[in-house]
Amino acid sequence: MKWLELVQVAGATLVAAVTVVVLYALGVRLTAIAGDVSERKPAWVRPLAYVCFGLCGLAVLFGLYLIIPYFSK
Amino acid sequence: MVALVIALALFFDFTNGFHDTANAMATPIATGAIKPKTAVALAAVLNLVGAFLSTEVAKTVSGGIIKEGSDGIQITPEIIFAGLMGAILWNMITWLKGLPSSSSHALFGGLIGAAIAGIGIHSVNFESLMQKVILPAIFAPIIAGGVAYLCTKLAYALTSRHDAETGSKLTQKRGGFRTGQIFTSSLVALAHGTNDAQKTMGIITLVLIAAGTQQPGSGPQFWVIATCALAIALGTYSGGWRIIRTMGSGLTDVKPAQGFAAESSTASAILASSHLGFALSTTQVASGSVIGSGMGRRGTTVRWGTAGKIALGWLFTLPAAGIVGALTALLVKTGVGGVVIAAVAGTAAVTYMFLHSKKSHVGHHNAVEVEEAGAAVRFRKKKALAVSRANDKPKGDL
Repeated sequence: MKWLELVQVAGATLVAAVTVVVLYALGVRLTAIAGDVSERKPAWVRPLAYVCFGLCGLAVLFGLYLIIPYFSK
Repeated sequence: MVALVIALALFFDFTNGFHDTANAMATPIATGAIKPKTAVALAAVLNLVGAFLSTEVAKTVSGGIIKEGSDGIQITPEIIFAGLMGAILWNMITWLKGLPSSSSHALFGGLIGAAIAGIGIHSVNFESLMQKVILPAIFAPIIAGGVAYLCTKLAYALTSRHDAETGSKLTQKRGGFRTGQIFTSSLVALAHGTNDAQKTMGIITLVLIAAGTQQPGSGPQFWVIATCALAIALGTYSGGWRIIRTMGSGLTDVKPAQGFAAESSTASAILASSHLGFALSTTQVASGSVIGSGMGRRGTTVRWGTAGKIALGWLFTLPAAGIVGALTALLVKTGVGGVVIAAVAGTAAVTYMFLHSKKSHVGHHNAVEVEEAGAAVRFRKKKALAVSRANDKPKGDL
């Protein structure tokens, strides 16, 4: 029985999905803070939000890079 | 016979496409992230692209479940014909019922039934069947559901905002997830293309090898890849609105953050599984994710009645497609007349179901209740307005 492979798939799924969701959620949160009207906030909030979205995109692209045989061979 | 089987395989690919559009596009349509027609067009294009990206799965499809090759039993085009018949008919029936069932299971079931009836029970490798079909079917929804549950929790925890002093809820501004859904659902569509189009390529290649027109052990030829990609894209574009309705609003009410979490989990699970060699069914992963994300948000109810109906559909997929496959195999065995009868009966059944579906039309206009999406949008705007007013208040008021 291929239990090891099953665990591998479950682990990879968990890591990939959590990475993407956490990064994107952080981005959403920071955008929300940046969008508040009157609260005092540091100037780096909005750029940091974009960094989060960017990292999220990169994570997805890296995943695609790993699985498309054309690139990883 | 070979030409007939290839035509049937392409038609199966087509039904596979419209059966599984829901996996990728049901949640973004339900949350209003993408307009229904745009969504299916996007899914179709990405399926087309996905089908060209990788042919790894095609090389291993159906390998092992039916003992083939020099030391095993030679699989004939007739058996594949019968198997495809079973798969297509079961796909059509579940589509009519709006049940998201696994197209791969239908295919495997049909082939197994046909092999048992046409060759004998010894032709099926039950250990391989257990390992490749039964166990993944149990674990796919569990893995995807668990991950989606966790992701939904995380997404809500990370974006829930409370005022530091009063502890009252601030506006959550989770609208950003709606934009994110466009990307995650695209990823699911892509994953579907790399996964499911391959199965038909594998079948056609198997037929070509069985007929002796292609070297055993070689990969799918280019025209096979191209026609399969096209067939699944066309199927996706025609849209399985009935199943989209079940997945989009039948299981649980989906909010953008949930949809985002569910789709990320679905895409990760499909891509991880198809490239680490433990094949999971796209449909089962997607359904598991939707249920998991429904459990992950407080105040959402999962409609377990619908979930149960879907699970029952999964249980029946393998044997039902198998029985049709077996009956067809028995017919085909009788000779050319049998083949003609089977082909005519199959076409008649498909036509009947198509005509029957016209009676209660489910299209892009009514797949997911529009009022629901509209209400969600209005709700969001009102809330945002209230908070911007709160933000405008002078500090002393707090």
